[in-house]
Amino acid sequence: MRSLTHLNARSVGEACALLDEYGRRARLNAGGTDLLSVLKRGFLPDRPEAIVNLKTIPGLAYVAADEDSLRIGALTTLVTLAKSEVVNEEFKVLAEAARSVGTPQIRNAATIGGNLCQDVRCWYYRYPHKLGGAMDCLRKGHGGCLAIKGDNRYHCIMNGKGCFAVCPSDTAVALAALDARIKLAAPDGERSIRVADFFGPLRNALDANEMVTEIEIPRTARPSTQTFLKYTTRKPVDFAIASVASVVWKEGERCIDARIALGAVSPGPVRATTAEALLLGRRVDEESAVEAAEEALAGARPLSMNEYKVHVARVLVKRALLEEAD
Amino acid sequence: MEHADRIRLTVNGKVHDIEIGDRDDQVGPLETLAATLRERLRLTGTKVACDDGACGCCTVHLDGMAILSCMTLTVECDGKDVTTIEGLSDPKTGALDPLQQAFIDHTAFQCGYCTPGIIMSAKALLAENPRPTEEEVKEGLSGNFCRCISHYHVVKAVMSVVPPGGG
Ligand SMILES: Cc1cc2nc3c(=O)[nH]c(=O)nc-3n(C[C@H](O)[C@H](O)[C@H](O)COP(=O)(O)OP(=O)(O)OC[C@H]3O[C@@H](n4cnc5c(N)ncnc54)[C@H](O)[C@@H]3O)c2cc1C
Ligand code: SF4
Ligand code: FES
Ligand code: FES
Repeated sequence: MRSLTHLNARSVGEACALLDEYGRRARLNAGGTDLLSVLKRGFLPDRPEAIVNLKTIPGLAYVAADEDSLRIGALTTLVTLAKSEVVNEEFKVLAEAARSVGTPQIRNAATIGGNLCQDVRCWYYRYPHKLGGAMDCLRKGHGGCLAIKGDNRYHCIMNGKGCFAVCPSDTAVALAALDARIKLAAPDGERSIRVADFFGPLRNALDANEMVTEIEIPRTARPSTQTFLKYTTRKPVDFAIASVASVVWKEGERCIDARIALGAVSPGPVRATTAEALLLGRRVDEESAVEAAEEALAGARPLSMNEYKVHVARVLVKRALLEEAD
Repeated sequence: MEHADRIRLTVNGKVHDIEIGDRDDQVGPLETLAATLRERLRLTGTKVACDDGACGCCTVHLDGMAILSCMTLTVECDGKDVTTIEGLSDPKTGALDPLQQAFIDHTAFQCGYCTPGIIMSAKALLAENPRPTEEEVKEGLSGNFCRCISHYHVVKAVMSVVPPGGG
């Protein structure tokens, strides 16, 4: 592991300039709770030549509320979000999603930027090269997808294309339901992108010289009911088999607006827009919740071993709408 | 950008000036804090089991927060204050921390490999929340694996140092 440089970025500009210089051979390090595992297992197709520490950039960890939106700096830790008063009061799905990540020690170090940009958990992809050689696949740029014919119990049930690894991020699901945007910085400027558009089957929307600087969530005047549910095989310390974040606005008994996002079923969080539309003007009860759940998973195309995920996700949507704890 | 050649790390109150570089006597860019603590500073109380962020054996305090030293790069700890299990006993008398004593009194371990990490997690929890409920203790220790299934004794040991009337 020699000939690897470690650099402390002192500004966003500096970090982007380094990405520009090294291309995909530079890796940003925020909390390191994913990157260190990636580096130790040594499975990346482009062997990293530079580690760029983001924690030395001042002023990138904040939760700031103004009239229209809540802005979260990319280096904000998950423990900060889990404890933040404004997040717990107005954006409860995000606080719950942050609390559901990993372990207390991980949440103390892990950042929201890293949570959104973490690498996929596909077991073929992550297989350490040193144990019997590299397991190449489409995501690494060599050959096809090993999961299609292999063990795909944790893979996509919708929207997979070429690669069927799911988005492992829990905060992404909450942020999709909150209609958040991600701000990206590059050496020549900034752009902002909807959370749901950030993820894709083979990689996220980041160009080689871009980094995430901020997450922006619109504030709404009317209070909403929010629920985040995550189904895992073990209770603590596990990635989702499926998850759902729901944000519902009601007037009296009737739903006047709803946003439902599904997690761990696709390369990114998926907004169940037809299910959302179906709830408008209706009472949220067993009947409408079951219909919305059916609709949310209507587009599912499970692989050979993961049809069960369709059922799990459907139940989660129903329970989230009825605000039943799992 | 800055390429650090040395860092200053305080471990259990003692300041260490550490050289960064590729020589064997220097800390390399990918060396974890766990490796530095154990192999360079000979503080082998901190354990490494999974070396992958999942077991909590390597838990230490970084500026008072419980973190995983196997997922932390030493070069990124410049100016930080680290406490390991060795730093809990009284530096003058050598008397154990009451929590350490409680683990002994409750036989809250078998092989003991997970114990330093568990104690560091529990210390961090108690520092933040001196009167946790049993549920909160379980949640606070959810990032620590014990392969010998001493969890039940661990929870008892931690609860024994919580002042009565807790919750
Ligand atoms: C045992 C264990 C359990 C876990 N459980 C969960 C879980 O339940 N849910 C979950 O969502 N995750 C989980 N994780 C994964 C990971 O810990 C979290 O996703 C964490 O939030 C990552 O944040 P980080 O700051 O540590 O990221 P890092 O490891 O620092 O970075 C992760 C990736 O993102 C890139 N990156 C970081 N910041 C930026 C930025 N600002 N702009 C562009 N790229 C960036 C890095 O280059 C790297 O490729 C788990 C990890 C472990 C080890
Ligand atoms: S799902 Fe993606 S990462 Fe996994 S084997 Fe297929 S192409 Fe590779
Ligand atoms: S050794 Fe660090 S978490 Fe297992
Ligand atoms: S006592 Fe053996 S691992 Fe916990």
